[in-house]
Amino acid sequence: MLQQYLPYFALIPLIGLVLSLLPNNKQERLIFGLANATIITHIALALVFTIAWFMQPNAALSYKSFYLYKGEDANLFLDYYFDRMTLFYGVIASAIVFMVSRFSRYYMHREKGFKRFFNNLLAFYLGVNLIIIAGNFETMFIGWEIIGISSFFLIAFYRDRYLPVKNALKVFSVYRIADVFFLLAIWSSHHLFGKSITFIELPQLLASGIDKIQEHPVLFALLPINLLVVAMVKSAQLPFSSWLPRAMEGPTTSSAVFYGSLSVHIGVFLLMRTYPLWEANMAFKIAVVAIGLLTAFISGNIARVQSSVKTQIAYSSISQIGLMFAEVALGWHTLALLHFTGNAFLRTYQLLVSPSVLSYLIHDQFFNFIPPQHPNPHTVWGKVQLTLYAMGIKEWNLDWFLYRFLWSPPKKIGLVFRYLNSMALLVVFTLVFAGGLYASVSYYEQLPEMVERFLPEIFALIGVIVALKAFTERNSALIALSMVVLNQLFTALSINFNEHFTFNHILLYLSGIIVSGVIAFACLQRLKQEGEPIDLNDFQGHSYERPRLTLAFMLACLGLSGFPITPTFIGEDLILGHIHENQIPLTTLTALSLILVGLATMRMYARLFWGPHKKGYHEVAYRSS
Amino acid sequence: MSSHKFNPEHVVHHLKHYLPSQTPLKDFIHHNSLHAFQEMAFYPAIFKARKIFGYHVTLSMNDYRKLYQTGRIKLEVVERVITNRKGIAEMEAWKEKMFRKSYTTQRLPRIGRLRARWKEQFHIDLDNAVQPLLFRLLCSYLDQGVALWHFPFEDKGLLDAVRQIEQNSLGSFFKSKRVRQMLFSPDCSMENLLQIVVGNPDYYELYLFDQQFTHRGWSGMVSAIEDNPTSVLYPKKIAFSDLIVLELLMEIDALDTLLGKKWEPLCANLSTPPPDLFADEPISEQEEVLSLWQDAFEWSYYDHVLAGVQLLQQQNNKKSQPQNPHFQAIFCIDERECSLRRHIEQVAPDCETYGCPGFFGVEFFFQPHNGKFYEKLCPVIVTPKYLIKEYNVPEKRKHDFLYSKYSHHFLLGFFISMVLGIWAAFKLFLDLFRPQMSPAISNAFAHMHINGELLIENQNPNHTENGLQVGFTVPEMATRVENLLRSIGLIKNFAPVVYVVAHGSSSANNPHHGAHDCGACSGRPGSVNARVFSFMANHPKVREILAQKGLVIPDTTQFLGALHDTASDDIVYYDEKILAKTNQQLHRENKELFEDALDLNAKERSRRFASINTKADIRKIRADIRKRSVSFFEPRPELGHGTNALCFVGNRSLTKGLFLDRRAFMNSYDYRTDPTGAILLNVMKPLPPVCGGINLEYYFSRVDNYKMGAGTKLPHNVMGLIGVANSSDGDLRPGLPLQMIEVHDPIRLLIIVEHYPDVVLKTIQAQPDLYQWFTLGWVHLMAIDPNTNQFYFFKNEQFVPYEPLEKGIAKSDDVHQLIETAKEMDTNYIVDATKENLPVHLID
Repeated sequence: MLQQYLPYFALIPLIGLVLSLLPNNKQERLIFGLANATIITHIALALVFTIAWFMQPNAALSYKSFYLYKGEDANLFLDYYFDRMTLFYGVIASAIVFMVSRFSRYYMHREKGFKRFFNNLLAFYLGVNLIIIAGNFETMFIGWEIIGISSFFLIAFYRDRYLPVKNALKVFSVYRIADVFFLLAIWSSHHLFGKSITFIELPQLLASGIDKIQEHPVLFALLPINLLVVAMVKSAQLPFSSWLPRAMEGPTTSSAVFYGSLSVHIGVFLLMRTYPLWEANMAFKIAVVAIGLLTAFISGNIARVQSSVKTQIAYSSISQIGLMFAEVALGWHTLALLHFTGNAFLRTYQLLVSPSVLSYLIHDQFFNFIPPQHPNPHTVWGKVQLTLYAMGIKEWNLDWFLYRFLWSPPKKIGLVFRYLNSMALLVVFTLVFAGGLYASVSYYEQLPEMVERFLPEIFALIGVIVALKAFTERNSALIALSMVVLNQLFTALSINFNEHFTFNHILLYLSGIIVSGVIAFACLQRLKQEGEPIDLNDFQGHSYERPRLTLAFMLACLGLSGFPITPTFIGEDLILGHIHENQIPLTTLTALSLILVGLATMRMYARLFWGPHKKGYHEVAYRSS
Repeated sequence: MSSHKFNPEHVVHHLKHYLPSQTPLKDFIHHNSLHAFQEMAFYPAIFKARKIFGYHVTLSMNDYRKLYQTGRIKLEVVERVITNRKGIAEMEAWKEKMFRKSYTTQRLPRIGRLRARWKEQFHIDLDNAVQPLLFRLLCSYLDQGVALWHFPFEDKGLLDAVRQIEQNSLGSFFKSKRVRQMLFSPDCSMENLLQIVVGNPDYYELYLFDQQFTHRGWSGMVSAIEDNPTSVLYPKKIAFSDLIVLELLMEIDALDTLLGKKWEPLCANLSTPPPDLFADEPISEQEEVLSLWQDAFEWSYYDHVLAGVQLLQQQNNKKSQPQNPHFQAIFCIDERECSLRRHIEQVAPDCETYGCPGFFGVEFFFQPHNGKFYEKLCPVIVTPKYLIKEYNVPEKRKHDFLYSKYSHHFLLGFFISMVLGIWAAFKLFLDLFRPQMSPAISNAFAHMHINGELLIENQNPNHTENGLQVGFTVPEMATRVENLLRSIGLIKNFAPVVYVVAHGSSSANNPHHGAHDCGACSGRPGSVNARVFSFMANHPKVREILAQKGLVIPDTTQFLGALHDTASDDIVYYDEKILAKTNQQLHRENKELFEDALDLNAKERSRRFASINTKADIRKIRADIRKRSVSFFEPRPELGHGTNALCFVGNRSLTKGLFLDRRAFMNSYDYRTDPTGAILLNVMKPLPPVCGGINLEYYFSRVDNYKMGAGTKLPHNVMGLIGVANSSDGDLRPGLPLQMIEVHDPIRLLIIVEHYPDVVLKTIQAQPDLYQWFTLGWVHLMAIDPNTNQFYFFKNEQFVPYEPLEKGIAKSDDVHQLIETAKEMDTNYIVDATKENLPVHLID
């Protein structure tokens, strides 16, 4: 009976979040009051729940609550799960958010984004609770998306400066990769088990479904790999580490809760939660240990030479999380939980008090300074030290690596198409789409088999090209927006040709896109009519003058990139299910499309509404500050 | 740039002149943010800076108009300003321009336009490619103790240190082979590198200005440390020219990587020449209008104050100083002591208070017990020859393990995070709900231990340390005591106890804590000075010498040093045990009076703090104020010099009975004891650089908090213990953070001197440096004739009579009511923020 109360763990923060949107920014007392009440109610509920749970035989609880989609072909539902690990993470998350929110009440006083901060903090609280209480991948994914997006908004909290916006986009792109790998994990688990699975049935499924697993050895191997990539990104493990220090652009309190503690440790949670899936896979476990230890060593080295306080804390936190990865893979879960607890609290504290390091250490130096020794360059050890020093300063080229392999390629490929006139492309591809649509409705039966076999891939490829074009578009946001929508239409078309009976899934998928697209289009038209520039050559900073329009456009963009506020989110999940497990090219293309279209959308949003405002009647920050 | 011959030394010198000169944050010295333009008159100077660097140097046209609409800028003042500057005939035309005409807001600063061509011509973002690593190298090189591994070879200079690492390690900071070779080649000179990057010697200087001003924070810091090597404790050999060479090398590296081998220098095929950075351009009409507005803004306030002062004098309730004062107290001129003095006089009507620069005329270096360095305790411009040493300190300094650097070590971090993690959670909980003093908080009272002893008297002039004489000899003491007492006019009617109250400020989590300490003590608490001065003034032999010079201090009079913490509103007294029995009794009574005054002061301050209810019980307010100073979550432990605008030089009777809302520096000075102005010069000399410096830094940080201020504190990241930046890859942010300046009205300082105008004129003319501050208008000067109470404003090198426009000044017999009903700002936007300031009141 107890389990039916599980949804309240997500519902309370959700209600708090919605209520916190209502006051205006000056009502600081009310905003904080709402946040505080939400957190305290949540903690009280958790307390009563836990006591009741301990009075029971305290086995893991599971509760299936809410069908997002119910059909003959597929089921998507929210599922909750409560066990020792949930309890552990939940207690720590609540304690940290409670204290940081209280800290921020005074710290954030009179800040222009006071309300925005608490909205995002509550969104984060919702997200993190969804993740730790999630009983299946779908529920967890919703939490994952919410954390990602609130993180993105808090990095760009000072949205009128260049660096926060640039770094927010940087982090968003890495997160987006993780999101798509998460979707692929869901996709492989669907095909592997033939249905949407819950965590509670996992051990039993694995025990009984051996034959099914043996049918799909590749998928079974792929599933944990996908999950590992997701965990590595979120927990800033090698080679993704360099995003973490750069995410510390927001107020110190948000850095403390996100990048010092909770958000960055969530990868460890994911690995622990899915441990049964890869428990028996020795090679994989060795890989996790290796990644963890390597990260611990390298980011430990980077932390050692850092001369800025927050960056130092970021890298030392990463190195501890590396050790936790190893602990999880070795099966030492209690140790990992204790380690997580200690590290999360310690780094939260260290970040919150990071400004006082200056007076503390200067004072210390005043009384205890001894000039340090130089390494002797003529000895081997001295050369090793100098090498490690130089590598640490350069962050082992990690940031360059991300640039080289993640950001540069789509830009470069996009540039290949730069000679194609965007407008012409738009017209041609729209016609192609219309043709495709017509064919799919009228001539589907008559298409030659050869054509039919390759059509999904062809349309998916066109989708990728369109997304690339949207990503590199500079002249007009309207064109970029059209490309974003067109890309999604092509994705739908491609899947439609893959399995012709999924029209309602596609409708679900496109419904959110169309609505969001129309809203976004209206916003752009309005800007244009008022004579404001809408090109994407540089940051325009329209949020300075138009905060409301910014909000509307932002919601539209979230819809366009499949964030769980429109049915598109469900559709996305469903249509992926129609790609067969052996269709690697189509999977790759569709995944690429999803990544690129998300990036293109957020880039468009950021360029238009964020960054230094162009008009010179007020102060504008330096680019480098 | 007309000079064809490129002279690196000249260019480096020129560049350094324009860079921010803020030194590492451990000492915060307020100075004019636009010091580079200080040889010009105020308005031409700031507008030139605006054209070159794109700073906002005044409020915006809209802001002024809104301030006018809300009544903060007054119509009569606007009209008088126009009449004075443009003539009455032009009245309507200029009013139209000020009130209605719309002006373009689009403008492009001259800086950065040449270098912008990298992006325009080559489509590359050189800053993004170079800056992150460059900043990291600079920060690591200058780091004072954040990193566990220090940048090696910091005694060799930046470039040589980089060379050493390049030579002896397997990694490299450069990608291009060519650059690695260049680094070691003898031709690695600024000129040769500029030849590769820029190509045309005509533009070398311009290019370097563009380059260095993309990161003025770091460039300024390098230049400041080069010029003041002792501003850091861990010595670093650094030259600004090394930074330029390194940056040019990194630019070539980035260009080689991004563009391949084939790229031409930036100015190889220059079609249109870039603008001359320093070209003189006449002030535009828009700027003229802005300057009229700024004048009107300033005079709307000054006029109001002057009307109050005049009314006070006319009423002749010149509250005469008591003949036999109960006690006397000398404070710092700091405007934060302005309210405390008022409250003390209220609770103890028969006391006297004085003001003087808070180093009390004793200049020295201080070495705390076991300290490895010296601290300067006097104004920055003074270089002391004396050293005061502390000894016999009974307590050891406490540590806080949560700050242990070992937690960043990956193996030790494992154990530390497990052990200290839970402690951190507990500590955080305590810090939130029961904030209290801890070793990580900068504590004003910890600067000198209350029970420690000081070596003040020098018995043997040969007793020196590192070229400094340890302690002062008796004659040296006598000179200093005499100078100070005469300058503030305290030469007779000595009370039994004379308090010498220095000030400092405690705050938690505040890298800018030095900015809240005493400006006259190089940004440190003045406790040692107060104690040293009291010792000198109590010294029997000093008194003998003083008596010979006609300054007789009765034997019953004793001086007692004290420190006022302006954040927590606590006072600590030093050497109480030296007091004679009768004085001890008096001191016990006085202490209670001080406590009452501090309660009231806390209440007055609390009106600007949202977290404290000003109407609450006064004990609770006091406790809350105390808590605030040790709260990690509080970005405004106090508001520093925010709202400063005035500086009075004269007898206390000039202002006693006026409510000035903590906006006035107050220096005691008695014109009657100094008819020729001989003393006045020494009194006035430090005021423009110290008070004017504070005022102008607040001014510019307020009008452009993004470019000349440090922006909001909340995202600040401490870099190498020398400064703050916004993100891991950001530039240093000199200037004042938003939380310090949001209450401030950006107006220039008005110094009001009580003396005959001809004496004042003669005095300031005696020193060209001093005179220039007034002639160029960076600080305003007003004299008040002590006989006629007529004001004279210093304009165009002469004093002209000034009649206040405002006639009625509000009266209040209950300051507390005034404070309790004061409005709190809605937002920190200037039009809202300035509403928090209370008008001048006559108080009974």
